[in-house]
Amino acid sequence: MKLSIGEKVFQAFNYILLIVLASTMIAPLLHLLAVSFSSPIAADTKEVFLIPVDFTLATWKHILQNEVLWRAFGVTVFITVVGTFLSMLFTVLTAFPLSRKEFMLRKPIMLIMVLTMIFNAPMIPFFLTVREVGLMDSIWSLIIPGLISTFNMVIVRTFFMNIPKDLDDAARIDGCNEFRLLFQIYLQLSKPVLATIGLFYAVGYWNTFKTAVLFLRNPDLWPLQMRLRAFFTSEEEMAAVDLIMGDFDFNTTTLKAATIIFATIPIVIVYPYLQKYFVKGAVLGSLKE
Amino acid sequence: MEEQAKVLAQNKSRKQLLSNRLVKNIRKHWVLYLMILPGIIYYIVFKYIPLLGSVIAFQDYQIFNGIAGSPWVGLDNFIHLLNYEDFHEVLRNTALIALYQLIFQFPAPIILALLFNEVRILILKKTVQSLFYLPHFLSWVVVGGIVFELLANQGIVNAIREMFGYAPILFMQEEAYFRTIVVISGIWKEVGWGTIIYLAAITAINPSLYEAAVIDGANRFKQTIYITLPLLLPTITVLFLLNIGNFLELGFDQIFNLLTPMTYSVGDIIETYVYRAGVLQGQYSLTTAIGLFQSVIGFALLWIFNRLARKSEQGLW
Repeated sequence: MKLSIGEKVFQAFNYILLIVLASTMIAPLLHLLAVSFSSPIAADTKEVFLIPVDFTLATWKHILQNEVLWRAFGVTVFITVVGTFLSMLFTVLTAFPLSRKEFMLRKPIMLIMVLTMIFNAPMIPFFLTVREVGLMDSIWSLIIPGLISTFNMVIVRTFFMNIPKDLDDAARIDGCNEFRLLFQIYLQLSKPVLATIGLFYAVGYWNTFKTAVLFLRNPDLWPLQMRLRAFFTSEEEMAAVDLIMGDFDFNTTTLKAATIIFATIPIVIVYPYLQKYFVKGAVLGSLKE
Repeated sequence: MEEQAKVLAQNKSRKQLLSNRLVKNIRKHWVLYLMILPGIIYYIVFKYIPLLGSVIAFQDYQIFNGIAGSPWVGLDNFIHLLNYEDFHEVLRNTALIALYQLIFQFPAPIILALLFNEVRILILKKTVQSLFYLPHFLSWVVVGGIVFELLANQGIVNAIREMFGYAPILFMQEEAYFRTIVVISGIWKEVGWGTIIYLAAITAINPSLYEAAVIDGANRFKQTIYITLPLLLPTITVLFLLNIGNFLELGFDQIFNLLTPMTYSVGDIIETYVYRAGVLQGQYSLTTAIGLFQSVIGFALLWIFNRLARKSEQGLW
């Protein structure tokens, strides 16, 4: 296609604009990475931009030796692994019957579940219910109250409905019951959609925050995000450490920068893999809305 | 009378027939019923019981007496709210931030998607998109931490200000900047993610429309204005309606992680207030009333805008 001069100018302008904006997406992280490897004096005198000044590993040594942080990391890994598994299991178990024509209650149950996307319970009754169930101050309060995402369930159901029905007949002739049909045939064919919702769930669990704020009073059970928040908001959590150690190779500025990077690294590592699936998922879900 | 009895009998037998069919269906496909059972229990316990639990908005709920034992007070909680200074402030903050988000944050991904659509170099497009999607996957705790660090006294924004000879500003502690920071950080985190759905809609547009337009002498700009945008309108409308239904639900995580006591007067919103007054201080009935109020407003707005959208045949229902 031939472009006019005006269009060429626009193209150039557009490229520059997009590149500049896109770099603002990553620049803050790179800046904080640089701060986390800089000396506290350099960090506080505003000398650090994208390259560390007075390079030091002191901040990271301190962070990586922080048991409280690792404990929170462990909680988050646990809820991410166990939570993602349980969420996917129950999402699939719910979506499968709802995709079957022979399941008589398919329509009313589907309606009841989809309605919860519009009519959301207010925070307080939800909080009181979870407390009544006895999940207060339990690690399971981070998993069970949000076990099934209706959005993800609808994605899986739509996918199941588009699987050709010839397979069912073949399976039935082989004497397959519905459990085997689901786990041995349907799930094998649904790997892309399972990867998509698995990643949605995993990112959700990794970023778990609100449920922890609501249900966990015991700091030993706090997930990573909650621990980060405590680091950011109470200067004592970090400043006190400074004094005990008598070490001035790091301060709250560099520590905060390093904890932000610490919490972001796992996401950045899985990101290329993540990207392969999420775009598809975002579109799949939206079509049904 | 006779006819009524007949209808009744018919209804009864129809019901009978239906329940017979259901029993048969359950017997034959019991595996399916077993599969969905945990899901049903989940939705009842964690979705519908809390929804029904909203009735405590009409009670003076006492934790030890439960819903059954607490006295009913009618609309007292709602009347109390209307005369309550704190609530006015919180409501004003919520509505203003919601409005700013609607004006600035909602159109941002549409514009960005149109700009993406003009990029001809595939590798550049992919790279730029990857960068734009990244912040969506960061938690608000992390993004809040980033915002506080960048805008701190020793942060990079003030470093840049100093290079140009300006005095540093404590952005996060000043009321004047709070709402702007909320909107900009919201755009930063979600604008890229928001483009996905619009890009999908743009891809679905029939290329022959553009070819015809080119023959008619339309340049790229005119093609965007007269073809792409109008064909995006249904998608925009649906997303707008979904947005307006949650108008007052700004998202607890974002505000909670940006708010400090210094900025309560401009940034304390319904959700953060409900958390403090309800979860922390135990004013369960009053805060549930606020929650219900929020839902009713959202639903009313959805209803109104859906009616407007239906006039151009693009409503949700």
